[in-house]
Amino acid sequence: MKAKFKPVFNMSLLGFYFYAYAKVVFLFHRQGGKKMKHKKSVQIGFLIPFMIPLILFWVIPLIRSLYISLTDWDYISPTYNFVGLENYSYMITDPDFFKVMQNTFVFAFGTIGLTIVLGLMFALVFQKNFTGGRIYQLIIFSPWITPTVAVALVWSWIYEPDRGFLNYVLGWFGIEPLKWLHSSETAMFGIIIFTVWKSIGWTMLFYLGALEKVSKGAYEAATIDGANWIKQFLHITLPLISPTTYFLFIINLISSIQVYDQIQIMTQGGPGGSTTTLLYMYYQKAFQNFQMGPANAVAMIILVIIMLLSLLSSFLSRRYVQYE
Amino acid sequence: MKKDKKIKLVKHCFLIPSSILFAFPFLWMVFGIFKTNNEIWQTPYQLLPGAWDTGRVLDSLQNIQFGRYIFNSFYVGFVGTIVMLIASTLFTYAIVFMGNRYMQWLFYLVLAIYMLPGAVTYVPVYVILANIGLVDSLTGLMFSYVASVFAVFYLRQSFKKMSKDYVEAARIDGANHWKILRHVIFPLNKSAFYTVFVLTFVQQYNNYMWPSILLKDQNKYLISQGLRQFFIQDGAYGMNWSEVMLASTVTIIPVIIIFILGQRWFVTGIMEDSGLK
Repeated sequence: MKAKFKPVFNMSLLGFYFYAYAKVVFLFHRQGGKKMKHKKSVQIGFLIPFMIPLILFWVIPLIRSLYISLTDWDYISPTYNFVGLENYSYMITDPDFFKVMQNTFVFAFGTIGLTIVLGLMFALVFQKNFTGGRIYQLIIFSPWITPTVAVALVWSWIYEPDRGFLNYVLGWFGIEPLKWLHSSETAMFGIIIFTVWKSIGWTMLFYLGALEKVSKGAYEAATIDGANWIKQFLHITLPLISPTTYFLFIINLISSIQVYDQIQIMTQGGPGGSTTTLLYMYYQKAFQNFQMGPANAVAMIILVIIMLLSLLSSFLSRRYVQYE
Repeated sequence: MKKDKKIKLVKHCFLIPSSILFAFPFLWMVFGIFKTNNEIWQTPYQLLPGAWDTGRVLDSLQNIQFGRYIFNSFYVGFVGTIVMLIASTLFTYAIVFMGNRYMQWLFYLVLAIYMLPGAVTYVPVYVILANIGLVDSLTGLMFSYVASVFAVFYLRQSFKKMSKDYVEAARIDGANHWKILRHVIFPLNKSAFYTVFVLTFVQQYNNYMWPSILLKDQNKYLISQGLRQFFIQDGAYGMNWSEVMLASTVTIIPVIIIFILGQRWFVTGIMEDSGLK
């Protein structure tokens, strides 16, 4: 925790990095032509450029996070006390924390459900190539690659309660204007719509790849047997693309439990804490209030939730997912 | 034949409104550059601006001064991604082609980390970077992204799919590891390399949370952070909407160009690998 070594120059680490890399290149040349046996030094040379940052920025920090979560460290003072599980027990009794958990899960499952269903729907539309298909795909995909900050502004105009575009459109259908991001009841819904808009294209691409691999023979056989398209979809397509669904579920789950950008930009966790999610809470505690102990306790809880959900879904996948 | 045409028509009828829905925020943004504040808020809405005053837009372009941010984002996107790719390629090559028991364990370590949320380590990573003097520096930002678990995962999938015979054959012919990487591994896994490159580039270019924790000097801001700064500097979302729209558009254009240039590799790359577990 305390070990502090003052660096002499800033670039030294990257410099060392490239030095190590040059060393590896040099070893290649001496190694060339020899038989299958791999020299230890070569192996290590190959691994080092990746292993150093892996240990420095993943392995050590994970252990340290756990340790910090058991202390009352405030980042500024050099000393801290070991408080055991106090940060955790405080959190469990805090009603705000449960609100945050609830927000996170509402966001995660709302986004994942909508994204997967709509993504699959679009992929089915694109299943058979047709003229212009590629252009539609590009348009649907483009929100995914654009920075959240850049599109958030237009969305804040769309969501504007008085003169915003969405209420204007709703007016056509005789729907009363909503306050969207300005009301604690609808703010999370607004964030979910934005996130779904942004991530459908990505999900769609994965499904398109999966659909392409479903063999044509299976469909032909089903057509001969007189199965209509609903039956074909339920009994052929859906089971055969289930590994992709599983993969997308896990990936989307991990990323939506870590949602931050749109919340920080569009609502700052408000109104009334209605869009504060776990990672936003972590950010507030760690980098605004400098309560490193409680912040890292939140981090550990995020970690445990993701691990549990991955285990659960890999258990479910063994039962329900069909691999060819 | 007739039925096919009908289905196509239905598809277009469905896709045209959906595309408008997806593209609308972008269109509004681009046309917004030419509008005055009143035009933006007037109802009923007008998609097209009243006048195409390019002179004023060029003036605003000088005003917003986004060059620095764009440069920083590109610098981190290119240099950071290339260093990351080199490290991950060497690592993946070692795991796949120099395989022994220990290598397998290393891969399990990477796999375990792949499932974990990176954000939970921000506090200790910040402390570690502070200890080695790399806080508030683009080098530190890039360095913290060198160990890309995603890249290893993805490249390994691709390396495993190609036949090991090529590597063996090259080795028998006397090729060293360097030559094998350059002349066998790279050409055979081009699509995977491009996919990882474009994905990581886009991710780095758009990156927001970690850079805004790490970088405090405004000259080092990445584009997202810079844009955010630009929005809030004149109070609640600024006064001049057309400048804000211009800044947003300027931010988006480079990433769209990169994407269109790389999409042939990138889109097929994702589609090919979507069967992965």
